[in-house]
Amino acid sequence: MSSTTATLLPSLRALTTRLFSRPSPLPSSILSKCQFSTTSPTLALSKASIAKLGPKSQPGKGSSKASGAKGGQTTRRSKRKGEVVRDPRMINLLRHFAILSPQRIPAPLRMARNRYLRHWTIHRAWLLFRRQQREAREKTWMRQYQSMNRACEELRLTSGPGTREEGYLFRMAMEKKGVYGLKGVPIEYARAQTETPARVPWDHEWKRD
Amino acid sequence: MMSAAPGRGAAALLRGSQRVYLQCTRSSTSLLRTTATTTPSLSLPPRRTFATEATATSPIPEQPTTSQPPPTPGSGPSPYHIKSALILTRPPLLTRLPTPFESAFYLYQKRLNERLVAPFRKDYYFKQDTAHDLEWRIKLKERHGVPAKDIGRYNPRGRMAWNDEVLVGSTASSAEALTEALLKDAEVRVSEDGELIAPEEIVPVEKPMPRRTEADEKNEKTRLDRKLDETLYLVVKNGKTKQWGFPVGQVTTEEALHHTAARALEEAAGVNMNTWIVGRVPVAHQIIDPEIEPETKKLVKRGDKIFYLKGRIMAGQADLSGNAQGLTEFRWLTSKEMEKVLPKSVWESVKGMVELR
Repeated sequence: MSSTTATLLPSLRALTTRLFSRPSPLPSSILSKCQFSTTSPTLALSKASIAKLGPKSQPGKGSSKASGAKGGQTTRRSKRKGEVVRDPRMINLLRHFAILSPQRIPAPLRMARNRYLRHWTIHRAWLLFRRQQREAREKTWMRQYQSMNRACEELRLTSGPGTREEGYLFRMAMEKKGVYGLKGVPIEYARAQTETPARVPWDHEWKRD
Repeated sequence: MMSAAPGRGAAALLRGSQRVYLQCTRSSTSLLRTTATTTPSLSLPPRRTFATEATATSPIPEQPTTSQPPPTPGSGPSPYHIKSALILTRPPLLTRLPTPFESAFYLYQKRLNERLVAPFRKDYYFKQDTAHDLEWRIKLKERHGVPAKDIGRYNPRGRMAWNDEVLVGSTASSAEALTEALLKDAEVRVSEDGELIAPEEIVPVEKPMPRRTEADEKNEKTRLDRKLDETLYLVVKNGKTKQWGFPVGQVTTEEALHHTAARALEEAAGVNMNTWIVGRVPVAHQIIDPEIEPETKKLVKRGDKIFYLKGRIMAGQADLSGNAQGLTEFRWLTSKEMEKVLPKSVWESVKGMVELR
């Protein structure tokens, strides 16, 4: 409600109502009254420019289920028949809080025995599927790594072409020149996989300039 | 390089082994600067610098590695040609198709999600009494009040909220059904000034291209837009030996493996390909033993040590015209097709580096 009820923790709804109801107060006064410093610059600015807003804002259904707030309806400007015209941003926020308040989010699921067994089966099947995917990936990596390792070991024991000493090519291969740097990997390599191809999936006509 | 000389018996072996040439090498190229080049007997250990494990102090080779033939005394250069080949691959351009279990699982999870999250707030996304809002309301009604487009007909509230599982044989989880639903929703049904668009005037949404391209249908193995969800490997056929393999080149004294691989690709398949060689490290190797006469131990034919490097292609196409290696045709094959076409020894060497798909 208004500032008479000095609650230690005003609800979000009450806070919103207060923020949007005051007729253009100074930003500092908002901060002193509210417990939370939730006034963003946009809100503070909007307060100052509320007077500039004509009474053209449509509240939609004036009696929305959330904005039927019992407190804080200082009539800023009344249209015909004394209808309370609220800032639509307040209505939006109030409805947001009404739906997302802890009392209103859906309850945890409760399942009957067989339904729960089906859920448990699906869960186990999914874990098994993920395990299969993971192990296939890891096997591939191990296979590729072993292939590289064997090739490097053979290279290490190889006397290079002509009069090069043993391991020359290995040492050349182990150098890291150009690996870390701006020109390490070409940008065209970063082509992401998609679910469906492009209209021209591959440029066969590419020519080197 | 030469460690503390062990004894006289070993000296003969050392003389005959390839390592004797370490003393003759131009020491400017080696990273080690030791006094070992002059005398085999050395008490100081050589100064170790970066990546010198190859020629670090090692004991006498009492038996050479099994892959090499026994060194013939005074044999001269190595009995192997050192060659570098390039395995050029086109990575997959499409994601993997989900398995039926995956599709069904995702639908199941979406329906559970619908039961557990806060309900959809139309007013947050659609401003009241706009054309967009009107269009939303029309489409929502056609979906029987379900805001989500991919879960079929399910209401998480009410007396039928328990019925969130689809029945066996339902196609609600298939990718085609999902694409259909999304494309249907993407049509513009209300014009900007709020007028309903007549059914015959609705602009149809452009469907995404099919995953199987024309090259798939015709199975043209030289094209790169075939099998877009798998890796393709470039294989070339030698006109003389009639065998499939990879572009290969002999490593010269001035080159390293990656220089040779790039040169081999250029000579074999042309320059009109946007390629990148993934680093300098080989991914596979193949050893072809030399032919040695058993009685005289003379070298009849040198063997080959082929080190395969990996390359990626991003654009362009291979062109075998004007290649000096006698290559007659090329193909872009998946790993399964490659297994059938490559000679057994080549495939056994290379199969360790293939990707999952």
